[in-house]
Parts: sequence; structure tokens; C-alpha cells
Amino acid sequence: MWGGAEELSVNLQKNLIIAGHDSEVLRIPFQWEPASRISSQMLMVRALELWNVDKVIALKFPAFYIRHPDKTLWLLHQYRQAYDLYDAGQTNLPPGQEGDDLRALITNADNEAFAESKRIFTNSEVTRRRLKKYNDFDATVLLPPINDPELFAGGQFGDYIFAGGRVNGMKRQHLLLEALAHTSSNVRLIIAGPPDSPADGNQLREAVERLGLGDRVKLDLRFLPRETYAEYLINAAAVAYLPFDEDSLGYVAMEAATAGKALITTSDSGGILGLVKHRETGWVAKPAAASLADVMNAVFVDQALTRSYGRSARDLWNSFEITWPKTVESLLQ
Amino acid sequence: MKIALVSTFVPFIYGGARNIVEWLQAMLEKEGHQVERIYLPQIDAPDLLFQQMTAFRWIDLSSADRVICFRPQAHLIQHPHKILWFIHHIRSFYDLWDNDLYRGCPDDEKHRGLRAALHDADTIALREAKHIFTNSRVVSDRLKHFNGVDSEVLYPPVFSSERFHTREYNDEIVCICRLEHHKRQHLLVDAMEFTKTPVRLRLCGSSSSSHYPDELERRIAELGVGDRVTLEYRWITEEEKADYFADCLATVYLPEDEDSYGYPSIEASHSAKAIITTTDSGGVLELVQDGINGFVTEPTAERLAEVMDKLYVDRELAKQMGRNALERLDEINISWSHVLRRLLA
Repeated sequence: MWGGAEELSVNLQKNLIIAGHDSEVLRIPFQWEPASRISSQMLMVRALELWNVDKVIALKFPAFYIRHPDKTLWLLHQYRQAYDLYDAGQTNLPPGQEGDDLRALITNADNEAFAESKRIFTNSEVTRRRLKKYNDFDATVLLPPINDPELFAGGQFGDYIFAGGRVNGMKRQHLLLEALAHTSSNVRLIIAGPPDSPADGNQLREAVERLGLGDRVKLDLRFLPRETYAEYLINAAAVAYLPFDEDSLGYVAMEAATAGKALITTSDSGGILGLVKHRETGWVAKPAAASLADVMNAVFVDQALTRSYGRSARDLWNSFEITWPKTVESLLQ
Repeated sequence: MKIALVSTFVPFIYGGARNIVEWLQAMLEKEGHQVERIYLPQIDAPDLLFQQMTAFRWIDLSSADRVICFRPQAHLIQHPHKILWFIHHIRSFYDLWDNDLYRGCPDDEKHRGLRAALHDADTIALREAKHIFTNSRVVSDRLKHFNGVDSEVLYPPVFSSERFHTREYNDEIVCICRLEHHKRQHLLVDAMEFTKTPVRLRLCGSSSSSHYPDELERRIAELGVGDRVTLEYRWITEEEKADYFADCLATVYLPEDEDSYGYPSIEASHSAKAIITTTDSGGVLELVQDGINGFVTEPTAERLAEVMDKLYVDRELAKQMGRNALERLDEINISWSHVLRRLLA
């Protein structure tokens, strides 16, 4: 698997080297199914010896269990199925005593790892709040910078709403299609990115067919070169991103704001709400087709207003002052 | 196929043990396989060995169709389709045990107990593998001797060998490897005192400390051979290396009893250059046949000087041995196509 955490670690390594340090990425394999093997994998990390290293920056479960006298956490993920996802009834942990024991084990081990860390940063306000709520540890939010901001300059106000990034059920691109069926006929949509599974891609293709949206939707379902992705983004009228309760702002949103695009999201999308202020930097719709359709219409009703939301999104993002040199400085404090 | 490549590392130490993994990864990806490369930290401190070995037992790589394990103790991983490309044991508890200098721990009851337990655990893990490959005859012999398991030698090729070519056969014998005492560049400097021809010597490489390079420099000055010896104490680029091999008269590599032939010997062979080595150099002797694709001499300055002069005087011999060196690669199957065929069989 290669995802946001892997991408972040590689870019952090690159920027540590730019700042004059030696840096190596240590990736620790973790398989969360079956749940009965979670505890041995936690112990596995604890049993490793990491020598010849002055400082460790640990990013996620269970890697943050690694023992080192100078460990800083930049927490992207706890094991959410033992915490908030458990509370939401979405867990792979077994019911009853066995699951309760596993949850207690994870919580206790997490607390120990957090206590032995010199500093704790999180990648979002949501992660920070969760850490406070479930483990009662304080942390500082350190949002991950964009890796190639130069790609997101220029462009036009095009005739489409753009939805980029990985395609899967949790990212809810299908909801955009359902909504599009309720919009006026001038609203167009481009969905572009790699489906997690062939089924995720097929679901979207079938929805386009079923709803008869073929002439208003372009599906470009593949892993896009960065330049192609940026091209779609900088020429969009607005950018939509509606994951279900995500931890972080999300690169898609940060890149859209960098490009000065108005943002569309939903009230249950999580971290991205730090950047989408309703009727300031974009629109926060209800996670339902009708509400989303209203917002998608609005993008093209008053283009001047949409553009001004885009400028505000860029201003808000710039006010966060999130750059790699500042991030590296904080992590090495 | 989904293939996990698993090896161990010491952070910030780079070398051959990473090359074999990363080059294989590139070749497998070129063939369309999905590859995950996993490096886990491993240190050889006796008291921490078993704790770390337990960690390797707990790794879950069941989502891979097959795993290929390299540096110890990666072979302890459990997987239904485990392939080993075994490059060495934890040598202080195996072949170096009888050497007080290299053992690194006392030969007492506690450490003898650790050693016995390590041998048992290794043997069990080795037997779990579907197939065991090694990087040399030397390592295969050790596996047979210490663990009683059979293995197949699979010589590691170099990356994009097409970069290496032949331009000329000049006056210079080139040695490209880290400047370390056990690589014995000092023997080569000493040999230059005994040469009778204007043959030249070039030593290139970085070092773990400046101590040995300084010593070499002093020796060169003492012997007054500075006009014919070039010492480049730095990491040279891949392009520079290809250029040196393209132009040189021959190459030389005389480590003290090493397991493998050393990548520069293979790179020089791709450039059709003869290899000089010594009778006690270990794995290099699997590649170099005396009088055919190079020379295998006694490890003395006088004998080395003789063969260096011989190559200088007889350029036809240098060329013929160089051509033989290139042919030798095919003879013992040093190629990625062979490696991929065997590892994926």
C-alpha cells in the first residue's frame, strides 16, 4: 500500500535533507486483519532496536511504538478502530471481552508511547482533539505542507467542478454524481484519480450511465501524473472534496486553496472544514444529493462570488503559513 | 505477482547489502511485479539478538504472494512462500567465532549458549524456506557446514551493466572500493616499490574514517611512488567509475577473505578488463581463474608487482584476459535474466 502517510514520509525526508540533515525512512509493515494478530505486531515494533540515529520522528500506529531516547511524534493515525471508529460501530475488533482487552491494550500501549515522546504534533485539529479525548494528551497541530506548490498557480475559471484524489466509497465521489442529476444542465463535473479497487471505478461508471450524465461528466479514473492532475485543478470553476470524516485537511483541499479555487464539502467531512468556511471560502453542504446540488448550481450562478470565495480560500490557506522549512524547524525543536 | 523484499539495515550505513535489494526491486518492477521493500533495523549486540529475532517472527506479510529475504535476521520471517537470497550469517557467531578479534564477545558459557541457540533458531527458519539461494559458494558452504541445509548459488549481477564498456587499455591498474585495512590497498602501494615498468596505480573510494587513507598517503610519500600512484579518497560517481574501467589496463581487488567477489570486479568484467586478486581473498576466487581472466597471486607486494608488470608489458595478454573476464560472466550465470528466472521459479 502506498498512501498519504508514505508520501508525507518521503517528502519529510526530502525536506530534512534540504535542511542539511541525514534522513532515512523506516517503514514498518502492519496488517490489521485478522485482529487477533494486532497485538503481536505491536510487540514486534517494541522489540526492534533503532541504533545510530540521533532523532526519531514517528508518524503512525504501530510505528510510534519504536523505542528511542529522542522521539517526536507527528501523529497522523492512531488505530481508529479502537477509538472513534469503535464508538461509531465501525471496528474490526471482535465483540465481547476479547475486543475490550485489545482496546485496553492499544490504549495503554499508546499512552506509554505518548508519555515517552519528547513532543507530540498532530496533522490536524481532528487528530489533536481525538488524542485529547481518548488519551488525554496535549499536542500541537502541525499541518502538512504542500509538496509542489508551484504546480498550482495560473489557470482559468473553467466550466466544470473538479473532484480529484483517490476514488473509493469513503471519498463519496458517487454522491457528487447523485447530486449532479439534480443540478441544472450547465453544471459539469470531472472526477479524476485512481480507484482503490476495480469495483470503486465501476460504481461510478454505472452511476453515470444510470443517471444519464454521460455528456456532463468526465471520468478519468487512473493514477494521474502530477502535471495532469494540476492542469485539471487550476482550470476548474470550483473543487469538491467530500470524504467521510477525514482526519486531515487533505491535500486536495490544500492544493485547491493554493490554486485559489472555491471549495465544496459536506458537514461531516472532518478535517477539511478547517479550510472550507460556508459562504466565505466555499460551501458546506449537507451530505445529501439535494443539498449538494444547490451548492453545485451556486458555483455557476454568480461567477464573481465564486471567484471571490476562491481568493478567500487562498488567503485563509496562506495565513496558516504552512511551509516545509517551518515544519522541519518545529519537528526538530 | 505481489513480492515483498525484506532485509535489515543499520540506519545511515549504505553498501552492497542494499544494492542487491534495490537493484532486484527495480528489475522486478520492470517485469511488472508489485514490489514492497521493507528494511528493518538490526544490530548484532549479543544481548539484544533474541529480542530482535522475536520481532522478525511477529511480522505479518501474508498479503504478499511471496517474500524474498536477504540480510540477517530477515530469514526468520514466517511466510508460506519464503525464498531466501542469503548473503551472510551473523558472522561473529559463525565463521568468525574462532577469531578473538572479530568475535566481539567473550568465548564463555553464556555466549556459547547464545551461539547454540542462535544456530538452532537459524536452522529452523532456514528449513522453512521454499528455496535458499546464496550470493557465493563460500556462503553456501557455510550454510551446509553450520546449519546442514543445501542452497543454490545465485551470483548478484550489477545494475544496468550496459553502462560499462571498453575504450582502451592504458597504463593504469584501478582499484575501486572503500579504503579500508581489510581491503588491503596498502599491499598495492607496497607493490609499486617493486614494479620495474612505468605501470600506474589508481586507488579510489571513501572510508569509514580518515585513519587508513592518511596511512596510505604517508606510505606513498615514504616509498617515493607518488608520481605513479593516484589516491582519490572520496566517493566517486557511477559515471567516473564507468570511465575508469573503460580506460584502465586492468583492475585489482584483494580483500582479506571476503564472502563475495565485490561488485567492482563484475563491473570491470563488463568492461572487458582482467582482475588481479590474491589466494586468500575468498569469494573473489569464485570469479577469477588464475592466468585466464586475471591473476591470483600470493598476497605479497613482490608477487603483485610481477603480475602488474606482466600486464603492462603484454597488452595483448591484458586484452585477452579482459575478453575472458567478459565471457566468465556468462559462464557462471551472472545476469538478471538468470536471477529473475530462478527467484520466481
